[in-house]
Formats: sequence, structure tokens, C-alpha cells
Amino acid sequence: MTEFTLPIAPRRRARPLAMRSVYLIAPAALFLLFFFVLPLADNAMRSFVDEATGAFTLARYAALLTDPFYLRIMGETVLLSAGVTVISLIIGYPVAYFLVRKAGRWSALVIFLLIAPLLTSIIMRTFGWQVLFARKGLVNNLLVNQLGLLEQPLRLTNSVEITIAALVHVLVPLMVLSITSVLQGIDRRLEESAQILGANRLRTFWEVTLPLSLDGIGTGAILVFMIANGSFVTLVLLGGGLQTLPLMIYQQFNTTRDFGMASAMSMILLVIAIACLWLQLRIVRRRGA
Amino acid sequence: MISTTAHNGVDAPRPARAGPASDLVLSGVSKSYGSSVAVRHLDLSIEAGHLVALLGPSGCGKTTTLRIVAGFETPDTGEVRIGGVDVIDLPPHRRSLGMVFQNYSLFPHRTVAENIGFGLRMAGVGRAERDARIQSMLDLIKLEGRGDTYPSQLSGGQQQRVALARSLVVNPKVLLLDEPLGALDRSLRESMQFEIRAMQQRLGITTLLVTHDQEEALSMADRVAVMNAGRILQVGAPSEIYDRPQTRFVAEFLGTSNILEGRASSDGRALVVPAAAGGEIVVPLGEPRTPGEALTISVRPERIALGTERQPSVVNIEGRVTGAIFRGTYAAYQVEAPGLGRELFVYRQADGPLGSVAFRLGESVVLSWTPQDVVVVASE
Ligand SMILES: Nc1ncnc2c1ncn2[C@@H]1O[C@H](COP(=O)(O)OP(=O)(O)OP(=O)(O)O)[C@@H](O)[C@H]1O
Ligand SMILES: [Mg+2]
Repeated sequence: MTEFTLPIAPRRRARPLAMRSVYLIAPAALFLLFFFVLPLADNAMRSFVDEATGAFTLARYAALLTDPFYLRIMGETVLLSAGVTVISLIIGYPVAYFLVRKAGRWSALVIFLLIAPLLTSIIMRTFGWQVLFARKGLVNNLLVNQLGLLEQPLRLTNSVEITIAALVHVLVPLMVLSITSVLQGIDRRLEESAQILGANRLRTFWEVTLPLSLDGIGTGAILVFMIANGSFVTLVLLGGGLQTLPLMIYQQFNTTRDFGMASAMSMILLVIAIACLWLQLRIVRRRGA
Repeated sequence: MISTTAHNGVDAPRPARAGPASDLVLSGVSKSYGSSVAVRHLDLSIEAGHLVALLGPSGCGKTTTLRIVAGFETPDTGEVRIGGVDVIDLPPHRRSLGMVFQNYSLFPHRTVAENIGFGLRMAGVGRAERDARIQSMLDLIKLEGRGDTYPSQLSGGQQQRVALARSLVVNPKVLLLDEPLGALDRSLRESMQFEIRAMQQRLGITTLLVTHDQEEALSMADRVAVMNAGRILQVGAPSEIYDRPQTRFVAEFLGTSNILEGRASSDGRALVVPAAAGGEIVVPLGEPRTPGEALTISVRPERIALGTERQPSVVNIEGRVTGAIFRGTYAAYQVEAPGLGRELFVYRQADGPLGSVAFRLGESVVLSWTPQDVVVVASE
């Protein structure tokens, strides 16, 4: 008779195990609560509360979503991120394809070269761009003094192009890694099947490889877009006269000292980030199905 | 061109769609990967409309051979001719072949109908004709009305049939099958064997089937080519390969064989197998050999009769039953012949009540066969 209780036994043992795993995440949960959730809630509160009267207000959001000045800033932010995303994709896809299909035993080295820049501080990398493109930097030195191609040094820093280039430099590895992981999972025989059925290389890529790597493109694009959207250091250092949300938030906090407005702006930035994450989750879930 | 043929009174060539099947000829094909040789100087030809099975153990170079025909690998030497045309310099997409892989390789992002129609679309076949041909293929593989489903919603057998339809709908010159039934369970595999064979014969399509399953090769092929270590050892009709193996490897790879090694007797009419304690076992041969020649022979288990009495005018070897297994349609016995130091296998049609074996463990028996059942094989 005792054997009949056996099927229940594992469940009984599972409960203490589940309890224990709650204890395991407790430190992280507490940390997140005090240093992430509570400040965020505080921030959200501040964006909805009128400083003078202490009353609930939507005025800041109304201003942000209707004032052409703010709308332009948000538009510029999204446009910059979108541009960086598209360029990262155009540069990243071929690299990922090469990595998976052609690099062979060199692929480990290529991946290392890709990840290595991520290990250095973003400030270092951005300063690197400054050194390269400053008025008396390497590039201008080469063009003016060494090659004598130009009379006057070019004004390269503080330009939108260099800002985009620097952002792409930082973010392209994320794009490459996202696409690589999906490309690696594509069965070569699918491509071979297409070829046998009469598709040349280009057609095979277009009909099979590209559609099957859309998930990786989606994941990479959302990741890059999200990070570009919130990027701050690169924009502060290389600027280019761009006005983006993170820069505005910084300005509101430090210069204008309008904390309420800064809070509202960061809430909008957060909403965009959450929307991106939600999109990404949807993509991943579809892939899992 | 047409007027000339008309003058000569020769029929104009028929359209490619229902055109005559092409033959496939591989000659002197070799392929190495670094220092390891995958295919060694291989010759193989398939008559138009025939199905040849390339049979061999894992790693013997079957897939490599198939991929050379398909154009995914370039051979180091040799040529591949399809319908008399050397195709070595043609890329895969211009060879007009059909290919089915073990895991079917259906496009997961396309519906069943889109999968089947893929080759037609690549060939620029118009929508109306394409739909009609997809439809008739769906009927043929008994998946009417399932055109809009995705491959992942189909069973293994159904996916297999879609893969077959996808490669056949374009009327390929040669159909290549790489372990096409490897992923199916046993009962389904058998019915698919019939199905593929029937379809292949009806369409009269030249087919190269790669398999390591001897049953599959024997039951589906017009001719079987047995391959080992990159070489083809023997090509022939299934019965010929089975009944007259030329080498020990072929005898042992196809079914079970009792292999005996020894020397021809002084009159060349028997094989003398050395036994323990200086004894010997004498096995008469069907055809005389050079006296003293070292010989290896094979006797199929089902050719051996098992009894308790010696039979007149046949080979008789006495032994003791050491193993007995009932296998449904027959019973398999292991019999130890004294002094031989190893067991012989005997298959006996199941008679008597089901589940029974006629001889018990330890029972003394007599193995008998006729000299015609003995096949002399090359020892390598
Ligand atoms: N791309 C490759 N690179 C290096 N060696 C290879 C490659 N493809 C095949 N080989 C080697 O060539 C030999 C033949 O391989 P092949 O795939 O043709 O065998 P097979 O007969 O199809 O075996 P299986 O029944 O296991 O599929 C093997 O030893 C294999 O390791
Ligand atoms: Mg293989």
C-alpha cells in the first residue's frame, strides 16, 4: 500500500525547494526594490505633482506631448535612434553572415574582436572618437599636414555624423551578436534545398536565409534602438548640436532645475523603452512557439 | 532545327516536362577532406528510370557521393554525367535535380503549398499552372486541403511526403534521396518504402537512394551498390547482392552470414576448416577450387536446415543449441559446432504454435545444407 503514495512524494519535496529559491532571490529583490522600484515610483509621483500646490497635474505631459519644441526633441531622439539602428543593421548583418558562414575556425577570433570594444568604458571609446576627429586630431592631421589634401582642418567633432558613427560603433556588436545567434540556428540544408529547387545564391538568401533571420534582426534592432534612445555620454561628448531626451533631462535637472519636467521626460523615455521590450518579448515568444 | 528533323522523318523532341528520364553516370569520382579520403575512385551508373540504392555503414562516403551529384561538393577527380552531359561545372541550382534530406528540410516559414510550389516559382512557372500542379501533387500525396498548413503542423510521415512532392513537382532529371526514411518509425517506414517506390516507378524517375538500412535498399532498389570506406564493393540486383555476395563485407553487411575460413581440400571439392584439438570440419563446396587455396565462405542462416538426424547427400554438421529466439515469422537459433569455437546462426520458419521454438537450449542438433548454398567470398 505504501507504494501508492510514491507519486505524491516528489511534489512534497518540491515545496521546500521552491521556498528556498524565494530566499535566494531575496537580496536581489530587496536591492531592486530600494534602488530601482522606489526611486522610479518617486520619480513618477514627482512628474504628476504640482510643486507649488502639491495637487495632481497632467500639465507637464500635456506640454511635452503638444509643445512643438518638446515634440521636435522627441522626434529627433527617435530619428537618431532609428538612423543608428538602420546603419547598425546594414553594417552588422554582413558581419554576422560572414561570421557564421565563412569565418570557420576564425569565428572565435572575430567574436573576440567584436566583444573587445564592449569591455572598454564607453567614455574611453567616445574620447577615442574625439581624438580621431578633433580639429588637430589624427584625421585632420592626415588630411591637412600629411597628404595636403585640404587647406583648413575639417570641423568633424560636434557633428551629427560623428555622433551617429560613434553610436554605431558602440552598438553594432549587439546587432551582430543578435543576428549571429539566429543565423547559427538556420539549418544549412534549408538553403541547399532551395538551391536544388533552382534558386541561385541571391534568391536563396532572399527566400530562405533572410526570412529565417528576421527574429535576430528584430531582436538586434530593438536592442540597438533602445540603447541609442537612452544614450547620453556619446551625445554629451560629441554632441553635434543634437537635442535628445536624455540631454534635455540632464539639462532640466542641472541647469533649469525643473525636477518635475525632468521626471516627466524620463517617464516618457521609460515608456518607449518598455514598449521596445514588449515588442522584443513578443518576437522571442513567437520564435519559441 | 525543327525543319531538319522533319525532313529526316525523326520525331521532334518531346517537351521536357514528360521527357524521357536521364541516366546518371559517375566515373572515377574521388573526394578527400584534408588527409581523410571520403570517396575513392568511384564508378556508378544508374539507368534512366531506375532506382539504385547506395548502401553502406556510417561514414563510408554515401552522403558525400550524393552531395557531389547534387553539386554541393566538387570532386577532386572524376566526372558526373546526367543524361550524357557533364555537370561538374554547373552549380546546384542549374542541375535540375530533386533532393530529399533525412530531416525533410521543409521551409518552416512557408505553407505546405508554398513549399511544394517553391521550385516551380523559381523556374518562373505562372501562377495558374503552379496552383494546378501543386494541387495535383497534394492529391498524389493524400494531403488534399492541407495546402495552407505549415510543415510543423504535419506528422513526420506527412512532412516526408511533402518533401517528396516538393522535389518531384519540378520533374527533376534525377531524384536524390539521403536516408529519406531515417526519421520515421518502423511501421511508417515500411509503408513509405512502398509509397516512394510506387511513385518513383510511376513517374519513371532516375533515383539515387542513400541508406544504411539494408532492408530499405533491398526492398526499394532495382540495383544495390554496397559501399565501404569510400569504395563501391559490389553492384547488382538485390537478390544477387544477397545471394551471391562477392566479399565477406557484403555478406556480413547484408543480413546475417555464417562465415567460415579455411583451405581447399586436396581435391579442391571441399573447404577444410581447422577445429580445436587438431580436428577439422569439412564443408563440401558447390564448385571445385584450387587445392590448398585459402578460402572464406558464407552460408546464410535461412539456408541451413535444423534437425535431429543427418540428411543424406548434404553437408551435415553436428552441434548443440546455445541460443533460441522467437522472432515472429521465424525462429533464430545459435548452434555451437564442437571444435569450431564459435556459433553458427540458423533461421527456421516458425512452425507449430506461435511463440514456440522447436529446439531447446542444450539440445543436440544436426545442421544441414547443400553445397549450392555455400558462397565463396573474398576475405577482405
Ligand atoms: N565537410 C566535411 N569535412 C571533413 N570531413 C568530412 C566532411 N564531410 C564528410 N566528411 C568525412 O567523410 C567521410 C564520409 O562522410 P559521409 O557523410 O559521406 O558518410 P555517410 O556514408 O553519409 O555516413 P552516414 O551514414 O553516417 O551519413 C566521413 O569520414 C566524414 O567524416
Ligand atoms: Mg550520410
